[in-house]
Amino acid sequence: MTNLLEVTHLEKNFGTHKVLKDINLHVEPGEVLSIIGSSGSGKSTLLRCINLLEQPTSGKIDFHGENVLANSFNVTDYRAKVGMVFQSFNLFNNLNVLQNCTIGQTTVLHRNAAEAKTIALEQLEKVGMAPYVDAKPAQLSGGQKQRVGIARAVSMSPEVLLFDEPTSALDPEMVDDVLDSMRALAHTGLTMILVTHEMAFARDISDHVVFMDQGVIAEEGTANQIFGTPQEERTKTFLKRYLNRV
Amino acid sequence: MKKHRNFWFFLGALLLMILAVPTVTSQAASGTFKVGMEAGYPPFNWTQNDASNGAVKIQGSSTYANGYDVQMAKKIAMALNKKLVVVKTEWDGLQPALTSGKLDAIIAGMSPTAQRRKAIDFTDTYYRSKLVIVVRKDSKYAKATSLKDFKNAKLTAQLNTYHYTALGQIQGVIKEPAMKDFSAMRVALESGTIDGYISEKPEGISVTSANPNVKMIQFKGTNGFKTNPEDTDLAIGLRKNDPARVKINAELAKISQAERDKLMANAVNEQPQTSGNSENWFLAILKQYGNMLLRGTGVTLLISMVGTIVGFIIGLLVAIIRTIPTAGSRFRRILLKVIDWLLSVYIEVFRGTPMIVQAAVLYYGAAQAFGWNMDRLVAALLIVSINTGAYLSEIMRGGIISVDDGQFEAAHALGMTHLQTMIKIILPQAVRNSLPAVTNEFVINIKDTSVLSIISVSELFFTGSTIAGQNFQFFHTYLVICLIYLILTFTITRILRLVERRLDGPQNYNIMANQDQVSTPTDHN
Ligand SMILES: Nc1ncnc2c1ncn2[C@@H]1O[C@H](COP(=O)(O)OP(=O)(O)O)[C@@H](O)[C@H]1O
Ligand SMILES: [Mg+2]
Repeated sequence: MTNLLEVTHLEKNFGTHKVLKDINLHVEPGEVLSIIGSSGSGKSTLLRCINLLEQPTSGKIDFHGENVLANSFNVTDYRAKVGMVFQSFNLFNNLNVLQNCTIGQTTVLHRNAAEAKTIALEQLEKVGMAPYVDAKPAQLSGGQKQRVGIARAVSMSPEVLLFDEPTSALDPEMVDDVLDSMRALAHTGLTMILVTHEMAFARDISDHVVFMDQGVIAEEGTANQIFGTPQEERTKTFLKRYLNRV
Repeated sequence: MKKHRNFWFFLGALLLMILAVPTVTSQAASGTFKVGMEAGYPPFNWTQNDASNGAVKIQGSSTYANGYDVQMAKKIAMALNKKLVVVKTEWDGLQPALTSGKLDAIIAGMSPTAQRRKAIDFTDTYYRSKLVIVVRKDSKYAKATSLKDFKNAKLTAQLNTYHYTALGQIQGVIKEPAMKDFSAMRVALESGTIDGYISEKPEGISVTSANPNVKMIQFKGTNGFKTNPEDTDLAIGLRKNDPARVKINAELAKISQAERDKLMANAVNEQPQTSGNSENWFLAILKQYGNMLLRGTGVTLLISMVGTIVGFIIGLLVAIIRTIPTAGSRFRRILLKVIDWLLSVYIEVFRGTPMIVQAAVLYYGAAQAFGWNMDRLVAALLIVSINTGAYLSEIMRGGIISVDDGQFEAAHALGMTHLQTMIKIILPQAVRNSLPAVTNEFVINIKDTSVLSIISVSELFFTGSTIAGQNFQFFHTYLVICLIYLILTFTITRILRLVERRLDGPQNYNIMANQDQVSTPTDHN
């Protein structure tokens, strides 16, 4: 099977600070990949490098075998195919819920307004936010915002969806709604790469788990391998801290 | 007579040196004789609302000029066989307007001082005058007969005139700061902040005849001021080497002293009087000057509104350009740096200099350096727009920068370009956030357009000065002007606050859960 996304020898420095060191990663079409690791280990930076919100210092990222770091590469097209759900939601404050979900479709994908609206409503329906189409982001709770964030990303019909700690900013009672929305997307053909601290959820949903520590991939395997029989000492230590949550 | 050290002339000269462009020395021969005067210095020149007593229409206005200077100008225009055009010009603007070709002559109660002779030529004398002191009738100085009687009196005179220098001849006088014009001194005298001001006989005659509360003190022999003929003589200002000078001097020679005295007596009699009746002053001002006030208000609103809107657009564009990320090729980065530098120079220059100076430099400088004769209103609109643009650039840039980074990232993550992100996501938020500042700028513009009187734009304040110069009711007139400004700024603030609320959209949203049921037709049994 060809790799959908292939990261090779990726490095990222912020000044002299080496945040990512020799990252190698293979992502297969349709799989759910979870990236776990303690805070500051470089998980967000890796995700942001993948959709080019950060410019990698060196290394290679291939999408369908094409180097996304090449000068000739069409970045905006690529970003439209690689969606992102943010920890802090980042809904467009000047637009209502429906417009948040249609604006990318009309400006980037050039879908007509009616088609964009149909698709947006369909996705909002799936995350249970269809009743709130007229609301402005400021009028929603955190959980509601994040479900709109997911609908916004999915409305673009992406091939890959990146989630950066989508539930970390939420009150506990809202977490499940968001996780349910994500679960509904898993294994539908959409490739998902998620950074999360919800270990139980990661174990249930993931095909592939990466444990990061201090800018390197310390251990990698199936969900059962990483959560069931971790080999590395630092993986074990890390998981032990989350044991009560598992 | 009035000896201003003409600041604007120096500024103009400076501009010339910088640009090294030859001065426009002469105007093509034309059928008109354009004469500049303040039209606010009775009995030499004043503004009135009709053509009575041989008044002449003021260029670009519906009011008329009259007075000793106007009558003199008519005689000279006739001798030159040209049509007289009166151009109402502020005192400081007279010399630059003459040298830049906007005027053919200055007949404005101006004395041919050595200083002025460096820049312009003068004809022979057309009036000779004497210094007096104007005081309140009820003050202890009302009975003075000699300069010695003004010991400890608080006196002043017009800024940059020999009147003010003459104060030094009074022993023990308290010199108050010099004032901008006679209107200001008359107000100060009536309100009691000064005991008197130095003036010349014609002005003294007119102010005493218009205002029964004041008195003019004249001095006999050596009791009075020692003056220099260069100061007391009035002459007509012309451009250097103007061939018309010979003809004008010949015409002046024909006007005898008796005829000059008669002209002055007429002027003093005909100058505007305060209405003596006891009608409500407020209604009287509105009735008599309502149209002028309305027009002045209109001009002020027009300049400040257009200025704010255009300035907003300029500010937005500058801010957009200055927030373009400096990524990409080397060439692009350098280009952006250069543009950014130029824009910051623009902002610094226009925020770092007073608008009054900008207006004078643009209006007179453009004419003097390039022979570019701009319409006053156009110059005003241009200056206010560019000035507002400079202020709003920084405000809009702050508005853009203050939008959360997450908004940019989310838009980029959807695949939007920088331009799309700006237009659809960032600018609507930046504009909304900066609206209070724009409202503020609008209000400031309404008030600050008053400085455009320097280029004689007939906005509200200029209109007010004109009215006060006619009716001598300074306090009342400026009170009305003040009220109009207040109404304008108050209303505009309210309207824009409503706009802000509109932009924010409804406070509540409807939950659409029962959409289907709502759209189900009701049963028809
Ligand atoms: N824009 C940045 N500039 C400098 N340092 C950064 C920047 N972004 C992240 N870092 C640093 O990189 C390291 C990894 O950060 P991050 O990828 O956010 O970790 P994680 O998501 O695993 O918590 C941290 O030490 C962080 O301080
Ligand atoms: Mg993170």
